Amino acid sequence: MSSSVPSRKKYFKSSETFLSPETAVASNTGEFDSPPLQDDKPLFESAVSRRSFMAVLSGAMAFAAAGCRRPDHKLVPYVKSVEYQIPGIPNYYTTVFQHKNAAYGLLVKSSDGHPTKIDGNDLHPMSNGKVSAFAQATLMNLYDPDRMRRATVNNGDSTLENALTHIKDAAQAAIQADKSVRILIDEHCSPTFAKLISEVETKFPKIKFVVLPSIYADGTAEAMMKSTGFDGEILPNLSAADVILSVDSDFLGTDKFAVYHTVNFARNRKPEADKPTMSKLLAAESALSLTGSNADKRILLKPNETDDFIFGVLKEVLAVKGADAVGAEVQSHIAVAKSSHNAKLAAEELLKAGEKAVVMVGPHRSVAANAAGFAINMALGCVGAGKIIDPVMAIPNSMSKRPGIATLRDELKEGNVDVVIYAGVNPEYTADRELKALLTKVHKRFSWSLYKDETALTASVNIPTAHFIESWGDAIAPGGVITIQQPIIAPVNSASVPTADLVLKFTQLLDTSFLPDFTSYYDYLRAGYTSYFPNQQTWEKALSDGMISAAPAATPVAIAYSAPGMAQALGMKDKNTPSDIVCFVTPSYSLGDGTYANNSWLLELADPITKMTWDNVALMNATTAAKIGVKKGEVVIVSGKQGAVEVPAFIQPGVADGVVAVALGYGRTAAGQVANGVGDSAYKFFGAGESVGYYAVSIEKTGKTSVLATTQNHHTIDDEREVVKETTLAELAANKAGGNGTVKLPISLVDDYTYKGHRWAMTIDLSACTGCNSCVIACQSENNIPNVGKQDTSNGRGMHWLRIDRYFSRTAEGDENVEVSFQPMFCQHCENAPCENVCPVAATTHSPEGLNEMTYNRCVGTKYCLNNCPYKVRRFNWFNYHKKHVEPANMLYNPDVTMRMRGVMEKCTFCVQRINHGKYHAKDQGRSRVKDGEVTTACQQACPAGAIIFGDVNDKTSKVVESRKTVRGYRVLEELNVRPSVTYLEKVRNREAKAESAAHHG
Amino acid sequence: MSATTAAISDDMRHADGYSAASMSPNEEPFREPLILGNPTMHDISRKIIGIIESEVTFKYLATLAITATLAVWGIFCIGYTIATGIGVWGLNNPVAWGWDITNFVFWIGIGHAGTLISAILFLFRQKWRTAINRSAEAMTIFAVICALTMVVIHTGRPWFAYWLFPYPNQMLMWINFRSPLVWDVFAVNTYFTVSLLFWFTGLVPDFATARNMVKSVVAKKIYHFFSLGWTGSTRHWHVYEVAYMIFAAISTPLVLSVHSVVSFDFATSVIPGWHTTIFPPYFVAGAIFSGFAMVMTLLVIAREILGLKDFITLKHLDNMNKIILATGMMVGYAYSMELFVAWYSKNPYEWATFYNRLTGDYAWAYWTMVSCNVISPQIYWFKKLRRNIPVMFIISIFVNIGMWFERFTIISTSLHHDYLPASWGYYSPTWVEISIFIGTFGIFLTLFLLFAKFMPMIAIAEVKGVMPNAQPHHHEENH
Repeated sequence: MSSSVPSRKKYFKSSETFLSPETAVASNTGEFDSPPLQDDKPLFESAVSRRSFMAVLSGAMAFAAAGCRRPDHKLVPYVKSVEYQIPGIPNYYTTVFQHKNAAYGLLVKSSDGHPTKIDGNDLHPMSNGKVSAFAQATLMNLYDPDRMRRATVNNGDSTLENALTHIKDAAQAAIQADKSVRILIDEHCSPTFAKLISEVETKFPKIKFVVLPSIYADGTAEAMMKSTGFDGEILPNLSAADVILSVDSDFLGTDKFAVYHTVNFARNRKPEADKPTMSKLLAAESALSLTGSNADKRILLKPNETDDFIFGVLKEVLAVKGADAVGAEVQSHIAVAKSSHNAKLAAEELLKAGEKAVVMVGPHRSVAANAAGFAINMALGCVGAGKIIDPVMAIPNSMSKRPGIATLRDELKEGNVDVVIYAGVNPEYTADRELKALLTKVHKRFSWSLYKDETALTASVNIPTAHFIESWGDAIAPGGVITIQQPIIAPVNSASVPTADLVLKFTQLLDTSFLPDFTSYYDYLRAGYTSYFPNQQTWEKALSDGMISAAPAATPVAIAYSAPGMAQALGMKDKNTPSDIVCFVTPSYSLGDGTYANNSWLLELADPITKMTWDNVALMNATTAAKIGVKKGEVVIVSGKQGAVEVPAFIQPGVADGVVAVALGYGRTAAGQVANGVGDSAYKFFGAGESVGYYAVSIEKTGKTSVLATTQNHHTIDDEREVVKETTLAELAANKAGGNGTVKLPISLVDDYTYKGHRWAMTIDLSACTGCNSCVIACQSENNIPNVGKQDTSNGRGMHWLRIDRYFSRTAEGDENVEVSFQPMFCQHCENAPCENVCPVAATTHSPEGLNEMTYNRCVGTKYCLNNCPYKVRRFNWFNYHKKHVEPANMLYNPDVTMRMRGVMEKCTFCVQRINHGKYHAKDQGRSRVKDGEVTTACQQACPAGAIIFGDVNDKTSKVVESRKTVRGYRVLEELNVRPSVTYLEKVRNREAKAESAAHHG
Repeated sequence: MSATTAAISDDMRHADGYSAASMSPNEEPFREPLILGNPTMHDISRKIIGIIESEVTFKYLATLAITATLAVWGIFCIGYTIATGIGVWGLNNPVAWGWDITNFVFWIGIGHAGTLISAILFLFRQKWRTAINRSAEAMTIFAVICALTMVVIHTGRPWFAYWLFPYPNQMLMWINFRSPLVWDVFAVNTYFTVSLLFWFTGLVPDFATARNMVKSVVAKKIYHFFSLGWTGSTRHWHVYEVAYMIFAAISTPLVLSVHSVVSFDFATSVIPGWHTTIFPPYFVAGAIFSGFAMVMTLLVIAREILGLKDFITLKHLDNMNKIILATGMMVGYAYSMELFVAWYSKNPYEWATFYNRLTGDYAWAYWTMVSCNVISPQIYWFKKLRRNIPVMFIISIFVNIGMWFERFTIISTSLHHDYLPASWGYYSPTWVEISIFIGTFGIFLTLFLLFAKFMPMIAIAEVKGVMPNAQPHHHEENH
């Protein structure tokens, strides 16, 4: 685009420029934003003022969205076309999601100017085109009507300028009085923000930033620090591992890098009869985690046995590798270690794989356990360049959290701090009681936050901040990949400002001479990367790729192994509090730490293990429950030293005796209308310096019972039905894996229908699927699936088109331990669909491409199809669920997918809108057929494990045809002769013998 | 003479002492009279039209008030459902049919007795039917109205329920003839139409009688209108008899077809517990069973309140109880065969479903059904109990409860526990569903009460035809 275009305004820019277009015009000379990612669109062809247009358009939307003031902009119809914008054709932009200090490259779909779907950026090494359920669901928070609407001063509405001036005045007064100003921020991985922080801290010695994350676990970093001098963690590459021993490390579940790990882990989990190799995962844990659910062997440990277990493994490994492998100083620790049967077994497996084995210890475990894990890795030889633990993949713990918070605590005690600014943190919800009390004693407290949350309520000035999709920024990933975080939309709520901009504005108000060249954080960000972007094209390319290719790769951190340091670390074992019952406090699989809790997608997302929604529970096994004398659903009070939570008990097989697990993220009181009062907050267990981990508790009954909104109930299958199948690697190697080869279908009198064009089909690899729920949210976001609330969920009315069925089976040992199988279940698009012939009005029919189609407009709602569906995958709109949504939540919806009213049946469509887009695209290019891989379903696109393969079976070279040839393939309920289009590949467990003909529990 | 009557007269022989007491000494000793009290033809007309002519009693009004209240409450709940969505019911995934379709099948089943009595028993020359056929047919009509209500409101968008009919439309959409629900639409509507016409045809001579006898001018006009200019001429009688015969012939297959087609809704599905070939005869037997029980319940009350003991005699009730016993054993056989086939098939899903019925979450419903339908009618082996009014009243209610649970067991327990254990669930109704069910009873009883008051409740012309002195018989000298 030529720079001579008059009145150019910015669309994807910082909010200030958006809010005052005049200044933006003035300052905007020669700056461009990212073109959308449409490879077949020339980038610089139109001279039309797209940006002014889009600014008005999105402005109108934003004002309409605000909903409490009359719009003062008019919507302009598309008289002239807008550059890159074809009505009805979405654009895709890259950005990055910082999950604490983990950076995930994203690709955001923007439909007519507003983001409607979040996917992974396939160029980004952390996401590989995949994305977690959590990251996808943050889209809902973007349009949350409960977001803070405008700045307030002492609870009265105010303007940004006024509010900031208030804060400035307070800070100025504090500085003049020789008192401190503390800005509390969340963990992040933005180099530019870190640079800004250090510049601010240099310029204003009285202002300091303190990282106050909701949860933190330093065990791994501390062990590394002690033993190697590197303060941080190193991200292992699990795709290179043949044996993985996880010691309470939930790397497939609650870990920040879970998507990255799942991608890599799953690469080595798809064995075939002709290539019978796969990794072996051993998981030692006390509660049943997602990682443990996917383990080939799960070792059930009591929390206080963990250190002994890992020391036992270390002893066994060193017995073979020689003590010299990690230095003589550790001998004293090894000498006293006792190796259990399980430790011997684990060590044996690890030694077999040698440097292709890796131990991962949960960072919330003791420094000693983490050190032992690292020592084993050193001994096995998996540490080093090009190996599983490659020092180039370092995650520095630079903002050393625990000491930083301890310092803050001291400062607060001394009364040095006069002003506290909460910038995106919520200590009133997450912090321990002492810190909360100390913070409330601070003279002036201000809050910059997305919501008027618990902490914001205690602050005198509130400024709404922008969502990450509305903000400029950057993020660095392990390995040195830097991504520019570009906003995809101007703040939906016009009053909100990105946090980094607030920092800049605030400091510039304090001292106008500070960073005088920059009026916005965007300018600051852009200036920082000048060397990488000599011209506009390189900048645009970086935005388009979602990463700066010119940036150098990270230099590997130095691993200076010190045996005395290791010996010291090995001495830092868990100080076990003697207690009959230990509570494991862990982030929730759905809500994470609770920051984005006001999100019905997440609240209604079934926990992968328990299938619970809309509540947190105290998980315990039947023995523990019997000892306490509670039944499922009975509300108990779990009391720790610092506080107590009141949650219903939930019987969960696979949890160690005497262990109770409670998830964080619930019990919000000021999250918004949706999350307030859902569950109870397990943060209450934390004392000073404590976070995720094990707490000695006592449990008492309340006599109350609670409705548990599970999407799946516990049942025992005690017959021969084979819904979910599994085999062992040994059997697969012998090529005996089942499949459904023995099913004899009846002879048909009529010939089969011949599919002349496409014939869509899908394959689900149960061996790769980890049950992570990514596909569920992807499907929900893509297909405008409503949430139904707790009441309806508990009555089995959840609307998810794609659900993940979870089955437990007993292990060969027959102890408390269980094995878990996940099975994504959705419309099987049967060729002989039982739903189709029973519909009296022909509202559900078969397409010539093999899709089972649902014509919503024709549906009368007899529900006969649902009854006759053997998979029960049809979903009925019992109410007008969409009616509840108020602006701007309606902007969330995918315009390519029809909204369904009440009384209408719906179900998985194989993302027919995507298929149609693919076909249009092919037609545009003069092809009669869609190429393999051109159409992906939403679930497939999101699946980090790559367990979902979709394609055309009439294309004989397609991946889906390939996947259907394996002996692992079977179709669920094939004997009914409904001929499903979905092939499941049997789950393979990496072990010799098959477990006892295991009874599955639903 | 058909086998049934032979059996009855056979039975009479052993029960001489009892039946002789109410007979004139000169009557045939082995045949109980169908009408007691030896009334004249005019007596009969006067007696039955007298019900129409008599003052409205407080008892009647109070009863009507109660039933009408229930009906209005039910209609309100239907309105609430339509306005809000059927989410106000307890249905869910996997149990998408619950009380709604249970009630539908229940009411359709109730209707069956009417057609059986009016058509099949007519063709078989079962003269004892004349006393009860009118009210049984009325019951059919009202029950089918309730059934149709249920089936319309059970849809998610009842305002589009007319799409189930094949009619030319701008959408160029045709119904799906492969769907058993479409067969249902045809079957039930045909049934309703034929039953209504059959009922009305039978009513024409009686409307004429009413026209002749009522005093109120307005009522006279109304009866005049509905009697279609009936004069009682031989030609009229001739046409009437032919028409009646034809309707009986058309209705007879309907007795079998309607409930067979209703059973296809389930039998043609793939769900274990539904997919069963025994369903058509099993459903027909069950329908007759429940229909007779409902007729029994109503007649026991009606003959008491309206003083029709001479017309609806113990002999009628006894006969009906025999049919209840027979059909009860038929359904009992069907229950056991279902179980046997499920076990014998070695189909794990099938057996799991039936085992679950016996022992699972809904076992109480199954055993209620078995107790009411199979065990309770067994006492009808004893004639004394067959002729005991309180006993038959209680048993008839038991049978209705049992038959309701039969449908519930088939529909809901099969659904809540089908193929994939992950999708298993549990269903319980909400107050709205319960209210609507009670409301259908309100509608049914209100209509029946209005019928009993404003229409000749007993087929006057036909009853006259079965009076002893209307028949040519061997003891001419006695008359």
